[in-house]
Amino acid sequence: MDVPLYLEPRLESRLVSLLRARTFLHTLAGGLGSPLNVLLPDRIAENLAAFRAVYRRHHLSGGIHFAHKANRSSALVRRLAATDAGMDVASLGELQHALGSGFAPDRILATGPKNTAFLWLAARSGATVHVDGPGELDELATLVRDHHLPRVRVLLRLSGFRAPGVRLLTRQSRFGTAEGDLDGLLKSVERHGDAVELTGVGYHLDTTSPAEKAVALEGCVKALDTCRARGLTPRAVDIGGGFGTDYLADGAQWQRYTTELTNAALGTRPPMTWRRHTYGLRNENGTLRGALALYPAHRPAAGAQYLDELLSLPAPSLGRPLATLLLENLYELHTEPGRALVDQCGVTLARVLEVRRTEATEGEPAARGRTAPDHLLVRLDANADDIGLEEHGVLVDPVLVPRTARPVPDGGPVAVYLAGNLCLEADMITRRAVHLPAAPHPGDLLAFANTAGYCMDFSADEAQRQPVARKVAVWQEGAADGPGQEDAPWRWCLDEQYWPHLSRRTKGTA
Amino acid sequence: MRFERITDAIGNTPLVRIDPSVHGLRTIDLYAKLEMLNPFGSVKDRAAWNMARQGLATAADEGRTVVELSSGNTAKALAVLAGMHGVPFKTVTNRMRIPEVKDLLLLLGAEVEELPGQTECLDPTNTDDPLTQFHQALSEPDGAYLYTDQYYNDRNTQAHVEGTGPEIVKDLDGRAPDWFIACVGTAGSSTGVARVLREHDPRVGVVGLVSHKADFVPGIRTIDEVQEVGLFDPGTYDTLASVTVDEALDGMLTLARRCGILAGPTSGAAYFGAVRYLRELDAAPAPGPEPDRPAERRTAVFIVCDRIESYLGYVRQRRPELLGRPPQPNSPATLTDAEVRAAPDIDVEGAERWIERERPLVVDLRSPFAYAALHIAGSVNIVDELFGELVRGGLPFSKSRPVLLACPVGEQSARYAALLTRMGHPDVRSLRGGIIAWRDAGAPLVRE
Repeated sequence: MDVPLYLEPRLESRLVSLLRARTFLHTLAGGLGSPLNVLLPDRIAENLAAFRAVYRRHHLSGGIHFAHKANRSSALVRRLAATDAGMDVASLGELQHALGSGFAPDRILATGPKNTAFLWLAARSGATVHVDGPGELDELATLVRDHHLPRVRVLLRLSGFRAPGVRLLTRQSRFGTAEGDLDGLLKSVERHGDAVELTGVGYHLDTTSPAEKAVALEGCVKALDTCRARGLTPRAVDIGGGFGTDYLADGAQWQRYTTELTNAALGTRPPMTWRRHTYGLRNENGTLRGALALYPAHRPAAGAQYLDELLSLPAPSLGRPLATLLLENLYELHTEPGRALVDQCGVTLARVLEVRRTEATEGEPAARGRTAPDHLLVRLDANADDIGLEEHGVLVDPVLVPRTARPVPDGGPVAVYLAGNLCLEADMITRRAVHLPAAPHPGDLLAFANTAGYCMDFSADEAQRQPVARKVAVWQEGAADGPGQEDAPWRWCLDEQYWPHLSRRTKGTA
Repeated sequence: MRFERITDAIGNTPLVRIDPSVHGLRTIDLYAKLEMLNPFGSVKDRAAWNMARQGLATAADEGRTVVELSSGNTAKALAVLAGMHGVPFKTVTNRMRIPEVKDLLLLLGAEVEELPGQTECLDPTNTDDPLTQFHQALSEPDGAYLYTDQYYNDRNTQAHVEGTGPEIVKDLDGRAPDWFIACVGTAGSSTGVARVLREHDPRVGVVGLVSHKADFVPGIRTIDEVQEVGLFDPGTYDTLASVTVDEALDGMLTLARRCGILAGPTSGAAYFGAVRYLRELDAAPAPGPEPDRPAERRTAVFIVCDRIESYLGYVRQRRPELLGRPPQPNSPATLTDAEVRAAPDIDVEGAERWIERERPLVVDLRSPFAYAALHIAGSVNIVDELFGELVRGGLPFSKSRPVLLACPVGEQSARYAALLTRMGHPDVRSLRGGIIAWRDAGAPLVRE
């Protein structure tokens, strides 16, 4: 067969150590069922420390607010409560969770679409509200007055920034107030001066492009100057999240894989996917059209490093590096990393129920006279909503955790499709053939690494009364940096039982 | 050579032999087709003129705008041509990563739009990519656009079938070269030239060069991206090979420093790819004499597609050492850590008293934008970059007057205080903790 098209996950030391602990993982999944979400709360503190280091390098202060929506885990939120992190909550439930996990309200930022109960509790508790537009500001001010609440700190979410010279197009967003309408918005702020206190402005752009963000960041600094000129005293720019995660160990594998996807879409190689799915590419008279609808899973600059590079970019019209621009205008920087802060923080385990052979004709008509090779269909005791990698366009291979230690058979790598436990044709955990070093056996576990950001429980539900994955927090005993610590024994507790005093580690407390 | 119009100067570019001592090939003569000498600076002048000339004649009267998806040379040529005909030009791209080219396009009067980057949160319901939407907008009925469509327009290829290809044959005394090597962008030049050469001699070997997938070489596509080009037909090429940025820059340096050909990195990629490919053939035994070919010596041609000037920023980013300068005297870079630690400074309270008593010159090193917003009353603003330039030539103010330097957190001002002390200023101090400490201490800041 062809060289296997692996997409090996990037695994850093903690995850490597966890996935080596085969007996431990089987004991957990044996007791708590499949699927099972395993979280590493200590890692989130380390990721936070990496972000804080970038702040320090640029002499910036301000909040690093974890975007709670990336994961429902209590362990992660409580672990962060023991650091200097802030919390970005986007619902009433998340706000309650943050408050109950140890976040004082001055560390909480309420964002996203809000209902009245969410607004009330945010205002009552004293969280900062990231206001989407004049309507929300009016509603908030009315609540404050009607209920005699303390003055609420607000940030204004802006959008539609204009660049000088070359016009940078930006995807239309449902959120925020156009930069051009700032004057009207500030009139509202001034009118509601008894009820709200403006502390800054921000943006959130759904793009991987630092150039677009540079335009928005500079736009915010200019907007703050407008605020100052009107006698307001804001002090922060909130640049949202979107710093990304690098999921893959090997960039060359990603490049080879996407080239083969292109060839498959053009029909010049056998299909690599169930029912010839092409991830958004299409063939029009021999020319490739469409765009690859995938998360850019290989990201040389992701997370804190992406932030560093963004802050080092020159402001499009003022010319200074963005970090310098913030610093010399005496502004704080707020960030809301979600996915990037939970990088390497979790694994989803799923048990193999059945392994059977599919014929090439079953899902895949042969392409241009070339026969597609046979594949194995592996049915897992989990469904596509439990493991959201495919849903979020993240292509990465699972790691096989065999039930018993056994030698790798000679058969060599196998291509498998991973199907879920729902009685639905669409319930495929991968729509692509995944290459594994050897065929799995029933009873083995497949570990999906790095699912903690949006791919763990974002869409999990109890369809067909299949249980939603339980969550456990795991940690290793001993000092974090001690030699040989990779193989220190693992401890665990249920996610809801976790509190930071359990894993007393020194590193990453930020 | 006398022309009526600048467009008459398009084409008829020289074919220049590369000195064998540079490329080291024993049995192969390597020629460079200097498309960089077209009037607007690149091989794209031919395609742009051929695609636009018909429509341009009436476009102004019809109120049309010329539109293209181009990140560089095609846009440059079209901007000039459209401007000469009094027609607006707009380019839309997501590939423009050369800042000098952007500025040049704006200077030429073009409107430049950049497409948004990849989405960070995948939206599976959003199947239309920005380019598809762009094409839909262009194909609306009664659209006021003249869309040159370089990736699909046969007139792009045709420009090379009628011009570039025959010129090469003519300059080789009526023969086709044994090999033709070209970088693949729109595939227009490689397809058009290959067609002409093969009509002359079907044995011509055609090598297409693409960019290494993880790299960005301006004007070339990667092996996947060429599949998005309507003019691209894999059958045109006997070989497709990729070139990395480093290889392209190596090639560019060789062309510039050893051949006197001031060409950009794409041309460097073509040269590097050509020599790499030919070296293996050169080592093989030379073919025996054939009736219509002289024995032993064979020829290869590659295209030099544009000029070097626009790519200084690109080089600075990837090979800063090539633009290295000797260390400057009086530069903060020459300070030792000990000197910086020993820099005289003063805290906010002390500084307030000092200003009151001795009226030092207060220099705010932040940008004018930040200075205008809030600053210490009576201070002057000399932004750090400019201050660095000033002190290079010597002390910019009298030793008789004390100086207080201020920056955001007191780090940069400490460096300059150390430097000025070393340069002999008797009383210069850095504001400890900077303007931020000043603000946090509640000391007054003014906005004028």
